[in-house]
Amino acid sequence: MATALVATGCSAESPNPSASAAKPAELRMLYTTDEANSAAVASLVPQFKEKLGIDLKIDNQPYDALQQKVFSEFASSSSYYDIVVVDTPWAPALVQNLEPLTPYIQNKDLNTIGDANVGDFIPKVFYDTAVYNAESPIKRYPNETEKPAPDAIKNAGFDIYGLPIQSNVAVMAYRSDLFNDPQQKANFKAKYGKDLKVPQTWDEYAQAAEFFTQPDKKLYGTTVMAGVGDWATDDFKTLLASFGGNGHLVNEDLSLAFNTPEGAKALSYYAKLAQSGHVPPGSTSADWGTTAESFDNGLTAMTINYHDLKLADNVKGSIGYAPVPKADAAGPHFGTWMLSVNKNSKNKEWAYQAISWLTAAEQQTAMTEKSLHPSRSSVYTSIKKDNPLAGFYETLGQSLEVGVGRARLTNYTEVSHEIAVAVNNAATGSASPQQALQGAADKVSTLLKSAGY
Amino acid sequence: MRSTAALPKAGLQVEDSRRAGGQTPTVPPGRKPLAWKKRSLPWAYMAPSMIVLLLMTVAPAAFIFYSAFRNDKILGGVGRFVGFNNFIEAVSNASVRHAFLITLAFVAGAVILEMLLGFALALPLAAQTTANKVGAALMLLPFAVTPAVAAMVFKQLLNPNYGWVGYYLGQLGFPKGVDLLGDPTSAWIVLLILDIWQWTPFIALILMAGLQSLPGEPREAALVDGASPWQMFRHITLPAMIPFIAIAAVLRTIQAFKTFDSFKILTGGGPGSSTEIINLGIFRVGLQSFNVGLACALGVIFLIILSLLVPLMLRVIGRRSDPEEM
Repeated sequence: MATALVATGCSAESPNPSASAAKPAELRMLYTTDEANSAAVASLVPQFKEKLGIDLKIDNQPYDALQQKVFSEFASSSSYYDIVVVDTPWAPALVQNLEPLTPYIQNKDLNTIGDANVGDFIPKVFYDTAVYNAESPIKRYPNETEKPAPDAIKNAGFDIYGLPIQSNVAVMAYRSDLFNDPQQKANFKAKYGKDLKVPQTWDEYAQAAEFFTQPDKKLYGTTVMAGVGDWATDDFKTLLASFGGNGHLVNEDLSLAFNTPEGAKALSYYAKLAQSGHVPPGSTSADWGTTAESFDNGLTAMTINYHDLKLADNVKGSIGYAPVPKADAAGPHFGTWMLSVNKNSKNKEWAYQAISWLTAAEQQTAMTEKSLHPSRSSVYTSIKKDNPLAGFYETLGQSLEVGVGRARLTNYTEVSHEIAVAVNNAATGSASPQQALQGAADKVSTLLKSAGY
Repeated sequence: MRSTAALPKAGLQVEDSRRAGGQTPTVPPGRKPLAWKKRSLPWAYMAPSMIVLLLMTVAPAAFIFYSAFRNDKILGGVGRFVGFNNFIEAVSNASVRHAFLITLAFVAGAVILEMLLGFALALPLAAQTTANKVGAALMLLPFAVTPAVAAMVFKQLLNPNYGWVGYYLGQLGFPKGVDLLGDPTSAWIVLLILDIWQWTPFIALILMAGLQSLPGEPREAALVDGASPWQMFRHITLPAMIPFIAIAAVLRTIQAFKTFDSFKILTGGGPGSSTEIINLGIFRVGLQSFNVGLACALGVIFLIILSLLVPLMLRVIGRRSDPEEM
């Protein structure tokens, strides 16, 4: 496998896609497991066969194994998979192995089944997930809030390398039964002299966390996921963008954007919350799974996570959702999976039509029954009020519109790790926020040089 | 078809004539010497497995050495020879040095504790009783559990809000909701306890087999001479067990250097970077960032350290560690 990993295969520029390409009996797709709601995509397989007349064979792999599988497939120039799912942090390294889709999107003959209207995708999601300059993957599209249009993307020197399918973003979940409880409201008013409401600012968030914390009743205000891992970096990113900093962490010119006054302010807030006693014990070694588990089991009144939550059967209560609080601005961390066409596939035209169909508004709407996070604006507006997750989807849609993605680096995982260590050190109190960020900055600078930047 | 019965006979004749100082018999034209055939036959039998071994172990190892001197990118672009750059980068990085040091400390601590506890378990279990046979069978369970599963179960037990460990520590007077994975010292203790729980039975079983194979006569003679139990252990059992101790220690040391799952699942290298063993770094560099050259260089350095340590350990344990001398 090691030999295959190094035997790089970059195929030549593809010819123009032809609608008369021979129809294969089967298309093979490499997909993840629960991380991007594999059950939702699997539920469409019978319809897929009916609509396209092709079998869709999906291979599912858990996160780490999937990443290794995706990279080794491309490294060996394998044509086995026609479609691959790509997570945002991998895309800068993979982009030259993905089929540029602009000519496919612009070819009317290839768009009789799916949905070629990329303008329907949430702009920030689309540009952060799928739009790259393959020669310089660190670059970002200049205006990430304008409606996506293939011509404009091409003219700006970029291309489209996939279609977004599962949009994850940090959202706040809260126990609506507690926030709406008259007794709680009265107590809050008596203690703070103002009405209890769902927090919209970080100050209100910290205050609500303090108010609800009653360790003797096994109830804490909120959660932090400050254990060493990407989740800690994500928490910090959200705060950094909110406190006026660049939530991407590293600028396009490779200057560092986290060891700044805004970064210190954001990390100070986070460390104070982590040490306040208003989060459950163990929060400095928690990950996103732990925090979800804490909230689900009724241990906390609020939490910030990337998906909808469900209270355990023995917890009597209800859940509400709201965008994460803000200070100067809103900038929740986000990252979306995309379906891309393997540049080495022998069925590119059909693979494109397949992903265009799978990510079309109609199919995404159907997949919301399995909690898929849609990437198209029209899907969010079409979700009916009687949908049990209507509140979640409304918040998700709002949050995606203002989300902030990761830096586009080929070694983002290592960079993220060093920042997570800094966040953890500040959260545990073993270093001051400034010291922790400076330590991370030194290590990230070395990592960037090591990666050839 | 040539008679197979004729081969040994012919071979014996050759040997006999040499021993008698006579002339070497002439080999008939077109036929190879029988001695050569005798030597080559085992090689022919072994060839298929040797080829598999070469393909599965030697070839990847050679490729790792090759890659450690290059800056190959697995996707896009052609790599080139960079000399010792990857090694220099690896050893000049303070985080990597720290990771190597704590890996060595973990291995030393875990192996020493497991050897002591394993011996303590093996001594009473060595007697061939029914209860001991059941005990030995039960001891198989911890190291039959997948390390990742064991770590996940431990993580649940250690959850400060729901886990049993926190509850019972609270009953013993410790602060409630203690987060053992949130403090470097207690995180290390937890990681060591998990390792000890999982691998001490492995040591105990090896040592138990060793104890059961020891000859009884020296012990009987010592008993007749009035030796105390400690004297029996110190002067008879322990010296005789050195080969087994050496085997167990070497096997476990190599295994301990490969520890990965428990650290990744329980601490992820934290708090801070206090439990960031080298395997976590190699995983991140090699299998998440796909910096093949640097990951291979780290692997080679690791291999060199291991290759130096094992003979050193054998020397410390004793010269009688060669199984041939058992």
